[in-house]
Amino acid sequence: MVRDSKHEVLPGTLNLLILKTLDTLGPLHGYGIARRIEQVSGDLLELNQGTIYPALLKLEQMRWIKTKWGTSENNRSAKYYSITPAGKKQLAKEEEEWERTSAIVTRFLNPAEK
Amino acid sequence: MTRLFIFWSRLRGLFLKSKLEDEMSAEMQSHLEMQIDDLVRQGMSPEEARYVALRKFGGVDQLKETYRDSRTLPWIETFFRDLRYGFRMLRRSPGMTAVAILSLALGIGANTALFSVVDAVLLKTLPVQHPEQLVIFEWKSGRPFRTSGMSGTSNVDIAPGERGLSLFRYDVFQEMQKTQAGSTESPLSDLFAFAPVSDITARVGNEPEVINGQAVSGNYYQGLRVNPIVGRMITVDDDKQNAAPVVMLSNQFWEERFAGNPFVIGQQLSLNQHSYTIIGVTPPAFNGTLQVGYHPDVTIPLALEPQLRGEQSRLGTTSEPGVWWLNVMGRLKPGATQEQARESLNTAFQTSALAAMPPPRKANQPAQIEPKDYPRLIVEAGDRGMLDRRKSYAPTIYGLFIVVALVLLIACVNLANLLLARAAVRGPEIKIRLAVGAGRWRLIRQLLTESLLLATLGGIVGVLFAFWFKGALSAFTDDNNGLLPSGVELTLNWRVLGFTLALSLLTGLLFGLAPAWRATSLDLNSTLKQSGRTTGGRSRLSKGLLVVQVAVSSLLLVGAGLFIRTLYNLQRVNLGFNQENLLVFAVQPELNGYKDEQLLRLYQQLFDRFDHLPGVRSATFGKVQLIAHENWFFDFLLPGEVEGTAPEHDTMLQVIRENYFRTMEIPLLRGREFTAQDDDHAPAVAIASQTFQKQFFPNEEILGKRVTFNYRKRLVEIVGVVADTKYQSQRKEIEPLLYTPWRQEATEIGVMNFALRTVNDPTALTAQVREVVRDLDNNLPVTEIGTQSARSEKTLAQERTYARLFSFFGALALVLAGIGLFGVLAYSVSQRTQEIGVRMAFGAQVWNVISMVVWQGMRLVLGGLSISALVGYVLVRLLNSKYFGPDTWQQRMKQQLYGVTMSDPLTLIVIALLLALVALLACWLPARRAAKVDPLVALRYE
Repeated sequence: MVRDSKHEVLPGTLNLLILKTLDTLGPLHGYGIARRIEQVSGDLLELNQGTIYPALLKLEQMRWIKTKWGTSENNRSAKYYSITPAGKKQLAKEEEEWERTSAIVTRFLNPAEK
Repeated sequence: MTRLFIFWSRLRGLFLKSKLEDEMSAEMQSHLEMQIDDLVRQGMSPEEARYVALRKFGGVDQLKETYRDSRTLPWIETFFRDLRYGFRMLRRSPGMTAVAILSLALGIGANTALFSVVDAVLLKTLPVQHPEQLVIFEWKSGRPFRTSGMSGTSNVDIAPGERGLSLFRYDVFQEMQKTQAGSTESPLSDLFAFAPVSDITARVGNEPEVINGQAVSGNYYQGLRVNPIVGRMITVDDDKQNAAPVVMLSNQFWEERFAGNPFVIGQQLSLNQHSYTIIGVTPPAFNGTLQVGYHPDVTIPLALEPQLRGEQSRLGTTSEPGVWWLNVMGRLKPGATQEQARESLNTAFQTSALAAMPPPRKANQPAQIEPKDYPRLIVEAGDRGMLDRRKSYAPTIYGLFIVVALVLLIACVNLANLLLARAAVRGPEIKIRLAVGAGRWRLIRQLLTESLLLATLGGIVGVLFAFWFKGALSAFTDDNNGLLPSGVELTLNWRVLGFTLALSLLTGLLFGLAPAWRATSLDLNSTLKQSGRTTGGRSRLSKGLLVVQVAVSSLLLVGAGLFIRTLYNLQRVNLGFNQENLLVFAVQPELNGYKDEQLLRLYQQLFDRFDHLPGVRSATFGKVQLIAHENWFFDFLLPGEVEGTAPEHDTMLQVIRENYFRTMEIPLLRGREFTAQDDDHAPAVAIASQTFQKQFFPNEEILGKRVTFNYRKRLVEIVGVVADTKYQSQRKEIEPLLYTPWRQEATEIGVMNFALRTVNDPTALTAQVREVVRDLDNNLPVTEIGTQSARSEKTLAQERTYARLFSFFGALALVLAGIGLFGVLAYSVSQRTQEIGVRMAFGAQVWNVISMVVWQGMRLVLGGLSISALVGYVLVRLLNSKYFGPDTWQQRMKQQLYGVTMSDPLTLIVIALLLALVALLACWLPARRAAKVDPLVALRYE
């Protein structure tokens, strides 16, 4: 299989990806979030796993996610993140904005549609 | 809102640093382990798995850094780091640091102390509820509008051709009050009046004393919303003519005379021989609303003022209208404006004021005046109480402020120089840091932190100095004619301390910014190459600063010299009488109700005893105390002149005992002195001073001439001429003076100033004088007892203050300039060691080297002197022209000089020499160090 060149993650979209992941999968630790993003993007996104941590911190500061220490599947202690009601609202907002932006861009790129 | 969340988290992060640090490491560790586990499960070996896991994760340490930066407030951390660095730097050169902090502390302390004066006199609001709702009423009119007499202090800003007064007559106030109280829509919730009643004889315990008081309308305390701390306050019911006499005490009076005993409520207090019931005490911070510095000890209702003052009552009766003496204030309802208040009362005021106008006095005055000259109300903010005296002190205080600010400026300049020198030494280090990419602002911030640290430390020590300075300044507020109003309490409250903080930060920025800027300027090449030697720019700046310092200090010192000479001259003025060994004191029998026969008899009895008191050569008295800023004058008519057509002549007056001239040693030039036969059965006589004769009877015989006094239509015959004396003060020119005998002036001698010529030290007789008076009437206080010399000195308080202040600040400035000069030269010498070594190797003598250094220093001083000469010249020209108005503090200070001109050559030369001497001293040490340079060592040293 020919691999396309990997795409860099746009800065703002990481928030969206993390929130969506937590919304879909429920509480998850940092490693789990990183793996999920890798899987869903089909390994097409170039992402240093560590970069999610600053993003997670910011999301926590904004009160969109909350944290709790717990034990993982293989009995390791890990910090679990879960989405908050405010976070759910933010997720909905960002999804809508993303769709709107891409719709505008698509329309722009296909001016033939009258 | 989210920003607040973020800030809060970051703040937490700052404080929980180590805990969060551990958490972060733990989390990343567990992440890696989980990844490794997964990879191993997929079949990798542990080592390979670890390698891949790390690679997938990304740079751990870099990540940790980013994480840390988001987690805390980075700028606080760098700030603390800079602070620690700054402390280290300062500790490295303790001597310089100490000098810097000291000079800063002096400058900031002086400014703080002075600001406390500004605060106390000009800014502090009344300690009442909502002082911003209070308003003061005043009025203005055209010149044709006249009042029937006034008593009190007033200082209204008026244009030429206008009159203005901040005082009201009682009936006018009552009309205004009726209007205000009668309307529910009035913008004012309260309208009240008050006025000082000074010199009340009070009897607390055994000794009678003279205290100050005030009279207030019934709703005064209610209007101010002041509550008593003990008892109750004066109400409208107390302010009725037939009400029981009540009095309120000030907190200070209560503490001092009644030991703060709450059971004084209900006790009787004797005021001017009348009994008043004490009903309450005002709270501690409240000193009344009167002119700044006047603290009434007791307060009585307005309606009782006539009873207290008797014939001197200002209130008036149904037959006598009284005078304009009341201050009027009001409280605005929330939302009301000053203009609304003014409008609501203007008509009532105008009508009653016009009705109160006295009939025309001169023949050519119209009975009616035009509407354009009608009196109209003015409203001013009342949050600080009465402003009149404050306004007159403002220019002086601001003038002082400028002087002190200048001194602080010099201290800053010194410090800037210091820091410039140090920054130059660290030049290479800074350049390197710049070269490897440190931000310029970052470096400037670091250097600034150091100077701000210095400034803050200086500020803290400065607050300590401010306490001391404040005490010294309080001495200036004790003299009634000093620079500052008396009795003002200087406190270092939040406003003042806030000022100190702001000032410290500002000075830190001021002297830190320029050196920091220079040090980090992008001139990398030259300084990296050299061994820290600087030329041109940096030293030119510091030398320029030094020249400015010298200029400022020389100006201050010249001021000091001029005022010292003024003081010296004034102290040696020929007063016209002998003031040595003269004990003076005042007795005020009229306050106790003495008059007519009783009064004369009292005085006679007093003299019977004083004349025979051991140690007394001669005893006499006069109505006016000499050389005490007192005056008493009236207009009169020359023989043949008729009232209404004659031009106005004024003369000063004095009422005396027969032996006055002999006791005071004033020579009689012509005619005769008064005798005991000059009483009220004999024809009215007067004795003129020489100036009186020269001014009014230059070419004719004065003896036998009669002049008429308007105030009681009295005709007096002049029977003698005496030599001139100074009257009001040492510096006031001699004006015409007429003396009249006491036996013919029974209505004017209710208060007299006694003078006893003693054999030895006058103050030794103080106790006996008091005893004599007490024997005759133990309710009669003796006030202001002391020597005439001391009294005259007190009159020079203002001049003395100026002399002291200028000297102090001039000396301070000089010391600072000296230190600055020393610093500049020392640094210069240390930089030029090589050059000196070369010179010496080529044959220069020690003497050459010394003179080179000294000349370098003196050149700067000469530069400073020339600048100050130029500035001084311009100042003198400005003051001599009409550039500064007559009432500005600049002109007033010029008028303080006596016997010296502003460009007095002697003073200028002395100051220049003084400066030169100090400069030489400052040059001496660096010069010696230069001389000790060993050429061999210097040349080898690179």
